[in-house]
Amino acid sequence: MQFKCNQTLPERAIHIALKGPGGTCQRGDGTNCFIASNVATTPGDMTERGCTYAGCRGVVGGPVKDAIQLTHGPIGCAFFSWGYRPHLAESDFHIKYTFVSDMNETNIVFGGEKKLLQSIIEANAEFPDAKAVFIYNTCSTALIGDDGRDVAKQAEAIIGKPVVFFECEGFRGVSQSMGHHVGNETIFRQLVGSVEPEGDFSRSINIIGDYNIKNDIRTFEYLFEALGLRIIARFTGNVSVDDLKIMHKAALNIVHCQRSATYIADMMKEKYSTPYINVTLWGIKNMAQALRDTAAFFGLEARAEEVIASEVARIQPHIDAYRQCLQGKRVFIYQGGPRVWHWIELLRELGMETETAATTFGHTDDYEKIFKQIADGALVIDNPNVPEIEEILTRRRPDLFISGNKERYVAYKLGVPFVNGHTYDTGPYAGFVGMVNFARDIDKALHAPVWNVLHQHARPAPADRRTAHGFEEVPG
Amino acid sequence: MTSFLTVQERAVAINPTRSCAPIGAMLANYGIHGAITINHGSQGCATYPRHQMARHFREPVEVATSSLTEKTTVYGGKQNLLAALKHIWERFHPTMIMICSTCLSETIGDDIPAIIDEFLNTYPDVTIPILSVKTPSYIGNHTTGFDNFLKEIALNLPDRRKKKGETNGKLNIIPGWVNPGDIRELKRILREMGLRGLWITDYEETLDGGYYNPRPHFPRGGTTVEELRNSSKSLATIALQRHIGGEAAHIYEQRYNVPAHVLTMPIGLKNTDAFVDTLIAITDHAIPETLEVERARLLDALVDTHMYTSGLRVAFYGDLDLLEGLVGLIAEMGMTPAYILTAADNRAWGERMVELTEELGVESEIILKGDLHELHKRIKQRPVDLLMGHSKGKFIAEAENIPLVRVGFPVEDRFGYHRRSIVGYNGAIALVDEVTNAIFERRATTVVSNTLIETGVEGPTDIPITLRNGAAHHP
Ligand code: SF4
Ligand code: SF4
Repeated sequence: MQFKCNQTLPERAIHIALKGPGGTCQRGDGTNCFIASNVATTPGDMTERGCTYAGCRGVVGGPVKDAIQLTHGPIGCAFFSWGYRPHLAESDFHIKYTFVSDMNETNIVFGGEKKLLQSIIEANAEFPDAKAVFIYNTCSTALIGDDGRDVAKQAEAIIGKPVVFFECEGFRGVSQSMGHHVGNETIFRQLVGSVEPEGDFSRSINIIGDYNIKNDIRTFEYLFEALGLRIIARFTGNVSVDDLKIMHKAALNIVHCQRSATYIADMMKEKYSTPYINVTLWGIKNMAQALRDTAAFFGLEARAEEVIASEVARIQPHIDAYRQCLQGKRVFIYQGGPRVWHWIELLRELGMETETAATTFGHTDDYEKIFKQIADGALVIDNPNVPEIEEILTRRRPDLFISGNKERYVAYKLGVPFVNGHTYDTGPYAGFVGMVNFARDIDKALHAPVWNVLHQHARPAPADRRTAHGFEEVPG
Repeated sequence: MTSFLTVQERAVAINPTRSCAPIGAMLANYGIHGAITINHGSQGCATYPRHQMARHFREPVEVATSSLTEKTTVYGGKQNLLAALKHIWERFHPTMIMICSTCLSETIGDDIPAIIDEFLNTYPDVTIPILSVKTPSYIGNHTTGFDNFLKEIALNLPDRRKKKGETNGKLNIIPGWVNPGDIRELKRILREMGLRGLWITDYEETLDGGYYNPRPHFPRGGTTVEELRNSSKSLATIALQRHIGGEAAHIYEQRYNVPAHVLTMPIGLKNTDAFVDTLIAITDHAIPETLEVERARLLDALVDTHMYTSGLRVAFYGDLDLLEGLVGLIAEMGMTPAYILTAADNRAWGERMVELTEELGVESEIILKGDLHELHKRIKQRPVDLLMGHSKGKFIAEAENIPLVRVGFPVEDRFGYHRRSIVGYNGAIALVDEVTNAIFERRATTVVSNTLIETGVEGPTDIPITLRNGAAHHP
């Protein structure tokens, strides 16, 4: 597909590809090279990408429930990352509170280290029950060269608990993705293995790369427990600092989000020889496979089959009912990264086909997985920008758009049914039971009576007396 | 009755009430038809505010970023900004481009005006205005960005050629940081008075738009660049927030000879009277019957509700102008503005608020450089009956079981607040109703006809009743 909006932006062609017959990649620049990803955004293209800080503070560090979440920087970065991501836990300190060293002009000129140190001490004094202080660095404090690591060390000596400094300044990477890496690496270096507990860990696992969005964990944790396994740490949904400290004891790591968290699994493998398996905890086939693979490691195959059979029996009637309603629908999925390929199979189980797939910060391995699973003729696009998304919605007219809250209102303005795949409309969507929620939300989005009202009754915009300049309508 | 001023001393901010400067400039730029914002910085500084605005307005919000990365922090962001300008121009053909800086680009020290000049030299066919606004957030807060952009508009856009006595017959109105619903109400007031406003700027429709098929290329609405050019010929400028647009109004006066009127945000009876009186004074139009009736209805609402509201202790927080306007209505409702908390470090404002509250006969603690954690601690020490402010106060409201009446920005946990109006007589009536109903709900009461039957205790607080003679009575 040639994008009209890219006529003056040929740089974008290498990020757009069709899946040709036999799984080939037909790239927008006319070559068969693989789709380009994880490179710097074209400035001014109206990207949807966020920053390294967002990936670290928002995704990896933010869910840790008993750490003080302290941003070292000016106020905005902290305000905007506060309290809107539903990475739930049994307690809500991490969602309700945000801390910021609140750099002002003098600090930017003369350095913010003193103020950071004082901030840590004060924050800890206000909330003495917190188990650690997580500090996230931002652009300006990195640029002026504040030595946050050193401050963290001093602070640790004073307050007597871990002070973890994340070098996640926004400009470091090309997207949020770098922030995930920094988050993994820092938590591993500073926390994991800092306590050696006694006991038998031979039947224990960590769940890596799930952030408990709208309580996702509740949909699959009991399944692993039903196998007789003990979960030490979830990285990082509903996790405490103490869990992270001992997560190296696990016998096996189960890696769910393979973009944002494989890093820590790799590091644990190298340092502690902890094996890991890659899983998808969404959809029937994938969830079952995850349980089977886990069980195989521990020799619990028979138990796994029992668990799977009883769970599938529970949800299958619902899924069958929904599949009848959803059969044949064409979907545009645009997610941060892996959810795109995690969901292609799930959507097929519901009778739907992914016709356009896009990620904000996927790497080559994500796109390889997408190409492997997606149907021939599908459009794959890396780091799509706002005009491209609008063009896909108006020209390809998917039946359903699965994306995040920023894009929701674009979809609505264009009359396209939408489900929030980032933070879920209702949720949770994971596991077997979550899939029923997902199907229900998709069905609701697709078949809401409002679309009939819109299609039958919407009118063109009334003439605007102020449309004198270059006003043209997007072709429908 | 003595009010007093405190300045919060903590270094760490815990649950801040304020955000950062670029979002203010972005919001104001949404009020210009077909204008696009480029945020010169790293991607987060654009994506975060977009997300924040989408959560408040429930509209698509599009802002470009120059996507600075590690390399550009060494060599400067010029190439990125030039590329961003080119792409925005070629793909969108906007009517105007506003470039706002960030903490990052300011710290790097990029000279944005020089980069704009270079761009314009390379692309001589670009004739649209390109304005740059300084919005590092380590100075001020989100309102600073809005205000700085208004100053840039006032300095750069209006036509300086003006014949003596030439006018467009309009009034420049600078509403400041309000909601689309507020602008709608202000427009209605002007219409009722038979006046024409030139809105600097007008995001009434751009951020509260309709569903059209086909979708217009640019959102409908907004002030046009032509109108802004013409704004030097207006009869007067009225700024409805002192700290957002007040200085821009003075620029209009000094540069273009358009008289400036800087008012308190028109919340409540007296503040709205002041606005209406100003309109009358400038134009000689009489107050129309409709507004007289609304005004009387507000008085009626105040008297109807006073048995439920008198003496209640209220804590409210947010931006200077909102607080200053709100305290008027709160006093008119007979409530006590117990805590007035702002993140700003503006002593002059604080001292004015001390005087104002004393004049109004109420007793307040005015907290500068404050954050919501501080407010929470105060409330734990000495409770209040009601909170007023943006959504982030919900954590206090939940913990203390106090109703929160949502005003200001952002309101992200409720629907449609961007459509509401709290200005003018009608806005005040709506707010009086909402406050009263919030009190009804908190008291866990049954309301039979217009009698309030208390079914439980007073709630978590024990509120001393402040007698009119200044003494306090503890029940
Ligand atoms: S760096 Fe500055 S401009 Fe960017 S989000 Fe943070 S506070 Fe706002
Ligand atoms: S300043 Fe940097 S860290 Fe903060 S939001 Fe902007 S890009 Fe992200």
